[in-house]
This record gives sequence, structure tokens and C-alpha cells, in this order.
Amino acid sequence: VSLARVRAWLGTLARLGLGSAFLAAGALKIGDLAASGRAVAAYHLMPYDVAAAVGAAQPFVEIALGALLVLGLATRFSAIIASLLIAAFLIGIGSAWARGLRIDCGCFSRGGDLTGDQRPRYISDILRDIALLLVASFLVAFPQTRFSIDEKLEAGTR
Amino acid sequence: MSQRSALDKRRKRTLWTVIIAVVVLVVAAIVGFSVYNSQRSKPVATPKGTVSDGGTDSGLAVAGNGPVRVEVYLDFLCPACKSFETNANATLDQFVSQNRITLIWHTLGFLDSRSTTNYSTRSAAAAGCASDFGQLKAYGNALFASQPPEGSAGLSADQLIDLGGPAGLNSPAFAACVRDQKYKPWVGRITNDAARRGVNATPTLFINGKETTVNTVDDLKAAINAAG
Repeated sequence: VSLARVRAWLGTLARLGLGSAFLAAGALKIGDLAASGRAVAAYHLMPYDVAAAVGAAQPFVEIALGALLVLGLATRFSAIIASLLIAAFLIGIGSAWARGLRIDCGCFSRGGDLTGDQRPRYISDILRDIALLLVASFLVAFPQTRFSIDEKLEAGTR
Repeated sequence: MSQRSALDKRRKRTLWTVIIAVVVLVVAAIVGFSVYNSQRSKPVATPKGTVSDGGTDSGLAVAGNGPVRVEVYLDFLCPACKSFETNANATLDQFVSQNRITLIWHTLGFLDSRSTTNYSTRSAAAAGCASDFGQLKAYGNALFASQPPEGSAGLSADQLIDLGGPAGLNSPAFAACVRDQKYKPWVGRITNDAARRGVNATPTLFINGKETTVNTVDDLKAAINAAG
């Protein structure tokens, strides 16, 4: 078994896993866009109205990006966008932690608010995002994967 | 096929797939923003008892007409709100009876993701119905007394209606208001207003428009006394 083949299969798993993660993250937020906006506002990183707009667009973008990854269209580009998004989330969570904000990261939920008796889970959120970032980086480095539209197109033009 | 043209084809293909991906992502963002915008711009029915609270006008008058404005941001599903209510109720009543404070509630739908039926919004909307009939405080206290656990389905519409009985909310109009969730859009609006004001936890207390943290009833008394 050649190294390229192993990479292609690992990349396929990475693509499907990362894509599913984005699909799930978007699907969990899309039902309540106002809540998604409040979750972004809770980070206190931008004015409320900007946060509300970002929070409304975010689940749709996450689902679109998840679909691109699962289908394997423009894999390297999609993986770059995914890495940038995850890096932005990491910066957001890290800065919330550093500023002593007590918020739910709103990563895989609508998030935002924590009631008095709940603790934020910054460490596990950050570790999960670092793992996702590693997966995305692998795809940026090795975007040739099996069962992807990219692969079909490549075969068609060869 | 020459090496050169194969490379060109490959570049072209990459360019086109990237263009398609960019279009997909941009369209998704625009769709999200327009859906949100259309939800936001709908006019909203407001319960009776809405008061001028120094900006958002999203609070409901609970009791009192005194000079110090005490605003509580709460969620009927939030356990910490229930304990605030339990601990502070008698003190706040006392200030009300001395005509020292105006007590205002912002009944938020913050914790909709922590019940299976959006109980936060449903209970807050029912509180809006109670405010229509001038029974917000009694009804709110009853909601806290019957607070369901987080993660559950919460009280049904029938249970929310029955809860009004002891507070004198027996009319079919109240029942219809609760059942139809007449004030659900209003709850969405005031919950956003809270986030706009920087409130991202419940309970949050504002005294004369200033966010104030109190840990004990004595803190609360001191803060109100200091405000006037």
C-alpha cells in the first residue's frame, strides 16, 4: 500500500468527519437565528447588531461548508476556509476565557448564556477545536481524497 | 495530450471549483442574513404594563411606583433566578410597600435550548398574558414555585393556564393568550434587547439603569438604599 493511498483514505475520513462536524454545528443553530446572534454577542467582540448579523449568517455558512466538504468539492479551498473559521472560534473562546467571561461557547448549541450555577467548559471546547483544526490542516496539506467530486473531475479531465 | 495543456486544464478546473465554492458560501451567508432580517422586522404585540426603562422599553412593571428603578432580567427556567426570587422577594416587597422602588421584570427566553419545548419562551409569553390582566407578580411567583427541571419538557400550555387560577387569572381570554402564545414574538424581541444591553446571564439586576451585582439580601438592601 503506497503512502499516497493511505493519505487519500485518511483524507476521506478527515473530509467526512470535518464536514459532518460543520453540518451538525450549523443544524443545531439554524432553528433559532436570534439565539445564534446572541451567542456571538455574548463574546463582546463586536457591536450587538454586527454580532446578530454574523450569528444569523453563521449556521448557513457552516452547513454550506459542511456540504462542500462532505461532497469533496474544492477540498483544499474548503479546508482552508474551515481552518480559518476554527481559528477564529479558538481566538473567540480564548479571549472570552482570558477576559473572565462566563459563556457557553455556542459551538454546537445556541449557547451564549450560562445561568448562575453553570460553569463554562473552555478547556474541552478549546481541545475539541484544536483537534478539528488538525484535521482541517491535514486536508489543506493533502486534499486528494476518495469518493469526492474533485476526484471525479480529475478523472474526467485526465 | 501535452504536459502543458494538462496542467492548464487542471488549473482551470481548480479555479472553477473554487469559484463555485465561494459562491455557495456567499449565497449561504446572504440567505442567513435575509432570513434573520425578515424575522426581525415583523411588528410585535406588546403586553400591557410595558414601562419606560431608560432605553429598551422591554421591561414589564411588576409592582411599586417609587423613585428607584429595580430591573430584574430573569428566565423562568433558570434555577439561579428562582433562588434570587425566593431570597429577594420579601425585601423587594418591603421596598415596594414603602414606595421606594419601581420593580421591573424582563422575562427572557434565554434558555430555550435547555428544555425540549422552548419552555423559557412559552413561560415568559404566558407572563406577558398575566401582565395584560395586572397579575404579573403573582403569576411570576407561581411560575417560579412550579419551576420544571432543566432539560425537561416543562409545563404544558394547560398547566401554564391552570397556574393562573390562584392568581385570579381564570378568564378564557387569559387561557387563549397563553395557548396561542400571543407574546412569543415579544419575548424574542426583549431577549434580543437584553443581549443588546450586554445582559448575557440570568438573573441580572439593574438599579437605576446600572448593572449591579448583589450576592446577599443585605447587598441588595444596601444597593437600593445607596440609589436613593
